[in-house]
Amino acid sequence: MGKLDRFTPTSPLKRLVWTIGIVATAFMVMAPVYLLVKYSISDMESINTGGLPVPLWPYHPTFAVFSYLFTDPEFWQVVLNSLWIAIGTVLLSSLLGVPAAYVLARYKVPFRRAILIGIISVRLFPDISSVIPISVFFISLNLYSSFSGVILAHTLLALPYVIFIGMSAFEGIPRDIEEQAMTMGANQFQIFFRILLPIAIPGLAAAAIYTFLLSWDEFIFAHFLLDPGGKIQTLTLYLRSRITFQPPQNLLAAISVCLSLPVIIFSFAVQKYMISGMTAGSVK
Amino acid sequence: MKSGQEQFPSAARLKSILPLWPLLPAAFYLITFLFVVLSYLLYLSFSTASGAFPTLATAGNVFAMNEFRQAFVSTLLFVIVGTPLELVAGLALAMLIYKPFFLRSIVRTLFIIPLAVPGLVTATLLFIIFDSNGGFMNHILMGKYWFFPHVIRHAVDWRGAQWSALSVAMIGKIWRDVPISMLILLGGINAIDPELFDAAKTMGAGLRQRFRYVILPLIIPAISSVLLLRSIEMWKEFIFPYILAGRYHLLGTLIEFLYMEWGGKYEHEAAFVALVLVGCIVVSVAVFMFLVDIVRRMVSDVR
Repeated sequence: MGKLDRFTPTSPLKRLVWTIGIVATAFMVMAPVYLLVKYSISDMESINTGGLPVPLWPYHPTFAVFSYLFTDPEFWQVVLNSLWIAIGTVLLSSLLGVPAAYVLARYKVPFRRAILIGIISVRLFPDISSVIPISVFFISLNLYSSFSGVILAHTLLALPYVIFIGMSAFEGIPRDIEEQAMTMGANQFQIFFRILLPIAIPGLAAAAIYTFLLSWDEFIFAHFLLDPGGKIQTLTLYLRSRITFQPPQNLLAAISVCLSLPVIIFSFAVQKYMISGMTAGSVK
Repeated sequence: MKSGQEQFPSAARLKSILPLWPLLPAAFYLITFLFVVLSYLLYLSFSTASGAFPTLATAGNVFAMNEFRQAFVSTLLFVIVGTPLELVAGLALAMLIYKPFFLRSIVRTLFIIPLAVPGLVTATLLFIIFDSNGGFMNHILMGKYWFFPHVIRHAVDWRGAQWSALSVAMIGKIWRDVPISMLILLGGINAIDPELFDAAKTMGAGLRQRFRYVILPLIIPAISSVLLLRSIEMWKEFIFPYILAGRYHLLGTLIEFLYMEWGGKYEHEAAFVALVLVGCIVVSVAVFMFLVDIVRRMVSDVR
């Protein structure tokens, strides 16, 4: 008997129940995503129905809201701002995190376990609790409402992930390679840059993508660290500013699609690393 | 004076520590921020706008606030109700896809989709769906579609009442985060020795019995992890109540409200509430660990 069929429903009735469960769950998972897309291409008649049921598919599907967004200079400005902040966060967190991951993965570090717990505990600390001290600190350093302030804060959020994902990338490389290089006279820099780094690139790229996404859709720090009326706004703040008492639903949905599309696409590219990062240490 | 031989071990130790220097920039960065966060949080919490420090005046102000008491109770309920719901939903999903079947990997990927949708987007979508004026959910429950029965007579203002608003926020939170619980529990189930299933089946255990007496006891560590990690996340929750529950605060949104409203007049109170939130998480983790320890002892006594 194979491992996988040891807990499978065997009778037809149980199979039917199980199939209904799968379909119903898939429906519950996908329905909101479908509605998001549906609302984003809805015409006004499909939104303001005058008491009639909201149609399950727009009466006249249209990309008019996307056209409006893509011709709005403010939209492009916030997209560019989000891009700069995300790229800056990727660069800084990689610069700090990759060497740390290398050392933690390849060397015998004193108090390694305590260090790892310390690193991961940064993520267990509530963002909403750390954002006020950081805001006050950044105001005193003139970093409030600046790109660098948000990049520094996002790096704080991303660094534990970069270190953990980076560690698993370095740990997967056989030690023989390093030992052979050392025997041939290579020093620490040469081993790192010429041998280990090129091999670890796929894992590190996943960490970089994950960091990019984390920064791209981050809201709390951007909300606290950027002046609401200031020049620097991110896409998440732009979306939040459109949520008013009676907002145009198709506009909200279209901005949401623009915000989530890169996240959904790239998330699946780095799914394996995301999962291992999120569930690391959770199953004994 | 120490001899050269005595100094040698420390030189060797220095040589072994030296290659660890690439760890320093990240360590410095994290430690600096940790120091800034903790010191400012403590300073702001125990000082006043007039410069008095140390003082419990800010704490007194916070404890006297009706908003704080309500937010604390709401957050506690959010954690107590939301965490088990997320566990049950995660377990149900894990049990569904534990079995091998055609397109299993695609279904598994499908189940993970909510994780890839940004929290703000999910909250915005629920904002649209649960709109009191022409919202999709009201139309469904009012029986306007052939596929759903008539449940309510009039449109409900979901975001206009405390418990419905927080319930919608909880739905959003659970929908988005349940894949994490599912993955942790799936890991736990996959780690079970298949021989145990065989033995149980040979002894005539049915599906339900195998779940109750084989799977459930063996995934207690995974269940503990889900309860611990997800309860921390429930305490920390901000985005869903912020978008969906408006003025019905949890501790997270109360911090934002106190800090952002009234031109920073309640900055110190906001910091104190942030400190209380950290305290709540620490205490709940400690209580949880204590309870888990008791359960483990009980289980080992029974064995």
